[in-house]
Amino acid sequence: MKIAVCIKRVPDMEMRFSIAADRTSLDQTGMKYEMGDFDGYALEVGLQLAEKHGPGEVVVLSLGPDGVQEILRKGLAMGATRAVQLKVDQVPFDGLAVASALAEELRSGGYDLILFGRMATDTANGTVGPMTAELLGLPCVTGISQLDLADRTGTARRDLEGASETVEFALPAVLTIDEGIARPRLASLKGIMAAKKKPLETRPAQLGPANLTVQRMELPAERPPGRIIGEGADAVPELLRLLQTEAKVL
Amino acid sequence: MATVLPAQHQPALPLDRLIIRQPPGPEAMEMDVLIVGAGPAGLACAIELSRLAKQDQETGGGMSELNIAVLEKAESLGEHNLSGAVINPCAFRELFPDLPSEQLPFRQPVSREAVYLLTERRAQRLPTPPTMHNSGYYTASICEVVRWLGERAEEAGINLFAGFPVDALLVDGESVRGVRTAPSGLSRDGTPASGYTEPTEVTARITMLAEGTRGLLSQAYTQWQKIGSPNPQLFALGVKEVWETTRPLDRVVHTLGWPLPTDAFGGSFMYPLSSTQIALGLVVGLDYHKAALDVHQLLQRMKLHPLFRQYLEGGKLLEWGAKTIPEGGFYSLPERRCGAGVMILGDAAGFVDVPSLKGIHYAMQSGIFAARVAFQALKSGDNSAASLAAYDRMVADSYIARDLYRTRNMRLVFKDGFYLGGAKAGLMTLTGGRFPGGRITMPPDASVPRITDGAAPFSPDGVLTFGKLDAVFKSGNATRDTIPSHLLVGRDVSPELAQFYSHLCPAGVYEVIDGQLRVNAPNCVDCKATDVVGPRWTPREGGSGPKYRLM
Amino acid sequence: MSAFLAFAETRAGGLRKVAFEAVTAARQAADSTGGGEVHAVLLGAPGMAQEARALGRNGADVVYVVEHSGLERYNPEVYSTTVSERIRSGQYRAAFFTASAEGRDLAPRVAARLGVSIAADVTEFEIQNDAVIAQHPAYTGKVNVTLKLTGSPALISLRPGFVAPAEQPREARVETLEPAMDPAAARVKVTELAQRSTTKLDLGEAPIIVSGGRGLRAAENFKLVEDLAAAIGNAAVGATRAVTDDGWRPATDQIGQTGRLVSPDLYIAVGISGAIQHLAGMRTAKTIVAINKDKDAPIFKIADYGIVGDLFEIVPRLIAEMKKVRSHG
Repeated sequence: MKIAVCIKRVPDMEMRFSIAADRTSLDQTGMKYEMGDFDGYALEVGLQLAEKHGPGEVVVLSLGPDGVQEILRKGLAMGATRAVQLKVDQVPFDGLAVASALAEELRSGGYDLILFGRMATDTANGTVGPMTAELLGLPCVTGISQLDLADRTGTARRDLEGASETVEFALPAVLTIDEGIARPRLASLKGIMAAKKKPLETRPAQLGPANLTVQRMELPAERPPGRIIGEGADAVPELLRLLQTEAKVL
Repeated sequence: MATVLPAQHQPALPLDRLIIRQPPGPEAMEMDVLIVGAGPAGLACAIELSRLAKQDQETGGGMSELNIAVLEKAESLGEHNLSGAVINPCAFRELFPDLPSEQLPFRQPVSREAVYLLTERRAQRLPTPPTMHNSGYYTASICEVVRWLGERAEEAGINLFAGFPVDALLVDGESVRGVRTAPSGLSRDGTPASGYTEPTEVTARITMLAEGTRGLLSQAYTQWQKIGSPNPQLFALGVKEVWETTRPLDRVVHTLGWPLPTDAFGGSFMYPLSSTQIALGLVVGLDYHKAALDVHQLLQRMKLHPLFRQYLEGGKLLEWGAKTIPEGGFYSLPERRCGAGVMILGDAAGFVDVPSLKGIHYAMQSGIFAARVAFQALKSGDNSAASLAAYDRMVADSYIARDLYRTRNMRLVFKDGFYLGGAKAGLMTLTGGRFPGGRITMPPDASVPRITDGAAPFSPDGVLTFGKLDAVFKSGNATRDTIPSHLLVGRDVSPELAQFYSHLCPAGVYEVIDGQLRVNAPNCVDCKATDVVGPRWTPREGGSGPKYRLM
Repeated sequence: MSAFLAFAETRAGGLRKVAFEAVTAARQAADSTGGGEVHAVLLGAPGMAQEARALGRNGADVVYVVEHSGLERYNPEVYSTTVSERIRSGQYRAAFFTASAEGRDLAPRVAARLGVSIAADVTEFEIQNDAVIAQHPAYTGKVNVTLKLTGSPALISLRPGFVAPAEQPREARVETLEPAMDPAAARVKVTELAQRSTTKLDLGEAPIIVSGGRGLRAAENFKLVEDLAAAIGNAAVGATRAVTDDGWRPATDQIGQTGRLVSPDLYIAVGISGAIQHLAGMRTAKTIVAINKDKDAPIFKIADYGIVGDLFEIVPRLIAEMKKVRSHG
């Protein structure tokens, strides 16, 4: 079983962000990075599938500058077989540009499954996975919360608003993974040591055209300070009035 | 007015869990040298050792490549480190002789400094005591220092493992064989949940304990080996904040007096990190007498003093943190800081000079000495206690011991209170430590009875002053809500004792609800204050605790 | 004057609210660029066509309907090939989808198939001559990004709930369309669509959450929180760590850093003082209401509206008043 997992290096979402002077990007001072949350689930799914349906190879890929090697090494430490960096100075915001580069790389790989996280936590577009599938002419199921594989077919569950779908698909396929399906394993000490010796290749990325660009980045307005509107049960009518007319949530 | 005696309610160190005699299993990871703690001491040790090994290889010395591993409990380097800081660069110069000062990870050279005696509204300038002269030194963020040292270590091929707390020593007879990492992925009741990772054993010919203040394994080793010291180690709790400021600070500031009560030892610091960033904090010895003393609250009150307020108004709190500092000085150093297969470095050994508030360069220097001794021991194949004792001799012959000896009683006189202590300290300074001679005996902090008394009410304004919850949020603490509590609380915790704990802990871990103690363990920022006088701290899964970036 | 297309999402034989949002957006876009035509495309099982007229209410001039027995449920490949072909034929300036679960699956595929880029999860947009300018919340809602999308057609997927369906009625002409491929030949098949029980709303989805803390004093008092949620109707019940710790509520109800991160429109905190992790879990809620007897409780700093007092008096009153509000619509 040959599985590719595409992961993205994103800023640590626990951080407090500030906007850089150019107003189109984030201030890099003290920036800490991590593997995107959904990518971690996808990688865990890939590793589990390779273990279950093995022998298998899990290849972890990332598009970006040399800094992405850190998350690729983490993927290797978790158990991936080898890693590929598609090198580019700056990752475009446009999913099509990224998908084009990934499709180029993955096309001749002979993968049974290509996994993505449901979306990258930084750009929050959720477009690269399905776009890559389309460019490769492969079937695609997005937002999977449950997955079973049999010989050359798979069954997945997708959660919708107030409902869920059961989806059957043929391999090879592209899947994007939602949370809840698996908790990423922690890299063990031995895994980290072994990762240093596993192959990590770097090649230039063949980006597609970027027609979606960032014009400006802004921090949302600070939450205005709240107020205590009254005391005791007698304040209730006023609360409801405010919720209806001011906050408009009722 | 009742008193509580903290020592009576403090659980004993669980030695049987901390010292493991069974031989390591076949899955154990083998290293040549293992360093617990990626702080200045641990990283300096790793870097120096790696340099010596490379040099040896290049000159055909016959030593094969060394496997050096550094285990750090924080998720990323620097996240659990906290200091003032004003750094004496001498240890950096020794470790990186070819680097000019501008390339060292410091913020600003110290140009001016001032010491003040504070009252509630005024600041009286005092002549700077000789022990507090900082010219030639630099203000710095220890987090940045540690991250920088970490990069140098990685460049040197040292294996840095962040997110791996260590919870036990592996021993063989009297010698240390290695350590065991803490498990992760436990649910609240302590049973493995999904994502459970079991402990890993790591063995090494030499283990360096560079755990920092109140290191658990260092405590376990000295207790197990029955290593005494003339005085018990004493601790102070420092609570610190980093602010963005609209008014540049032009000097390194230290203060004495208000808001500390006269029967407590300590003082404050305020350092310029840049023209728009300052670090400030309050340090208080944990042998204070009033159970209701709350260091975090005192810091909040202190910020309203005109001396500090002028720099904070219009600014923004960027980060908050807390950590203990070993302050017993010379007489609290363990009689030996090494043994078969092990050396104790830095704050874990107590190499801190309280009067000058310095510890980073001592930590790094001790790491450098440990590396040199380790290198010789590895070359000769002798990691016995006798062989490693060269470390103690190196420290004893160095400025570390000289400096600490000179100020050996300076902190200790303050157990007599501020005025008498101050007078004695002054005399000590004048006589280079010769008067008063002898050793002032000190009880351990936990043996000091605390007077339970009403606590002054405190209402944070949320602009200049903050409650503990907001503070912990600013430490970056994102500990998993569902992990088991890592704090060992004694039995029979009376409401008065619970109140004492709740004031003691700067992170709001302890609350008193209806007279009962409630423990909010995830709030813990690993400062170790309650480990000194109350519930014992034990490691929890990697990545727990604060995430300091600027401390 | 340009024409715009809206994808009208359906489920189980009916139009979803997001379908009207997409048509409204297309209408707004058309009106802002000289009043061109708005087309909609909808797919489904035979009989779907009668839903088409409803889209005229929000401004659709033409509704392309694709009916096929194999399209009882969503079919990614049939939908994407069919919609792509319609966009190609129609020469639209822009095409609107919504970033619903289905929309997030479909829209990027259509874009890649057409070789164009897509602005996803958009909260505001403006059609300019050479570009579309769109607002998009990113970085877990911590950063607002203004995007520029060039090229034609511009594909946009709207964040559900941000465009209020507006009445702009016209007579919508219905045209039949054949699916661009045989549904039976699809490599991805939705074999089942299961509605989730509507009696218990999932915390992650509920627009309103009522949460209880230690102020409730005992497990049985949690009934007040449940009753309030029931009185509101579309509300789920949450709890603080302290409460789930003590076993009053199951761990899945816990809202906090790692319990659940929730972002409802309205969050009502009953008897909750505001511990760090809990605040972190709910602080992105649009409106926060706190009821606590301690006026210094940290939660009041983050709450938009607070009532200080005894929750055992306040909440029953709130339940009674809420029932009145709900029964009046």
